[in-house]
Amino acid sequence: MDAEALLGQVATGDRAALGTLFGREGGRLVAIALRIVRRQDLAEEVVQDAFVAAWQRAAQFDAARGSARAWLTTIVRNRALNLLRDGNRIDFKDSDELVELGDREAVATAAFDQLAERDALRRCLSRLDLTKRRAILLCYVTGLNHGEVAATLGAPLGTVKAWIRRGVVSLQECLS
Amino acid sequence: MTREERLERAGDYVLGLIEGTERLAFEAAMQADAELAGAVERLAGQLQALDDTAEGTSQPALWQAIAARIATTPQEGVVAGPPPAANENRPASSMFRWAGLTASLVLSLGVGYLAGVSLQPPPARPTMIAVLLNEGDASPGAIIEAFGDDSVRIVPLELFEVPEGRVLEVWTLPDAETGPVSLGTLGTAEDMRLVGPDLPPPADGQLYEITLEPSPRSPTGRPTGPILVKGFAKPPV
Repeated sequence: MDAEALLGQVATGDRAALGTLFGREGGRLVAIALRIVRRQDLAEEVVQDAFVAAWQRAAQFDAARGSARAWLTTIVRNRALNLLRDGNRIDFKDSDELVELGDREAVATAAFDQLAERDALRRCLSRLDLTKRRAILLCYVTGLNHGEVAATLGAPLGTVKAWIRRGVVSLQECLS
Repeated sequence: MTREERLERAGDYVLGLIEGTERLAFEAAMQADAELAGAVERLAGQLQALDDTAEGTSQPALWQAIAARIATTPQEGVVAGPPPAANENRPASSMFRWAGLTASLVLSLGVGYLAGVSLQPPPARPTMIAVLLNEGDASPGAIIEAFGDDSVRIVPLELFEVPEGRVLEVWTLPDAETGPVSLGTLGTAEDMRLVGPDLPPPADGQLYEITLEPSPRSPTGRPTGPILVKGFAKPPV
């Protein structure tokens, strides 16, 4: 049964179908959240909340607007970003639970390097200037905001905003 | 909005660079602009290839935790159609869901706090109304009617899951200098009226949100938990 059919089952109150979906997607979703929130416990909390939300709102999933995997991923990404932006919740400096993930740029670059050679996204990202690509990857993969990207890349904020703005337009034009 | 502007804004949104109030405004714009929504859906779908590179390990303990939570969490129905039709067609179960304004709930809430449950009849007409949207998918989650006497009426549109030891706390942001102000707490998502502290009359565009906080209320007096829903006030015509 594909993910869309499973989500349809979940909408009818089938908890086991959600379990099957979790079995397929849960580990990957924790890894996606971990790239953003950087702590295993928080990443698991994000995914737990996301699956409870998916259980509650399964009937609102609309296959015409994207795949079931994309729907789940979006819920997880939004929750991870909210947690990251909510500075009260995450204290990285004092925490020894912080996962050893290396610097943000290494995580972002690794995701790019793992894209399949013939993936359209890889091809289009490769066409961007290195700085634009780095900035876009840092935002999407690790959830950094403009200011954090500027600090990471050692570039002025206005310049980084312009890189990202031009970069995402070129990217969408290349992908269309 | 030109095509280029749409692509720029869609890009910023999908990259997570539009935050807070701007994000809500963008999501509202997306509902009215099919081209913008299309650009967002396309780009989000294409960038998923990056998410697909994330390699996870099996999480049996995490599933146990989720299974325990969903065992007691009710599901929401399909939200469809314009509001009047949706109200008429709403299944009976959800009518019951909001019908009960229980006295026991009043007792379960903190007393001697700035904010409390009002037993006075509200003024006839709200000064401002805010539709609070879900953080995850921007679906409507609650309506706030703000009155001129520092009271607000909360009409939940979904049954928020409130874990043991947590409460729903309602906040508003009168202005950036004052910062978020608590209007009170709810033990469960119920239609009820709260009286907040003495504040200036609610303004057009004022932010309202509901967060999940440790019981009996946020330990810091500011939102600390996840934002469930938020939205901006507009005056009724």
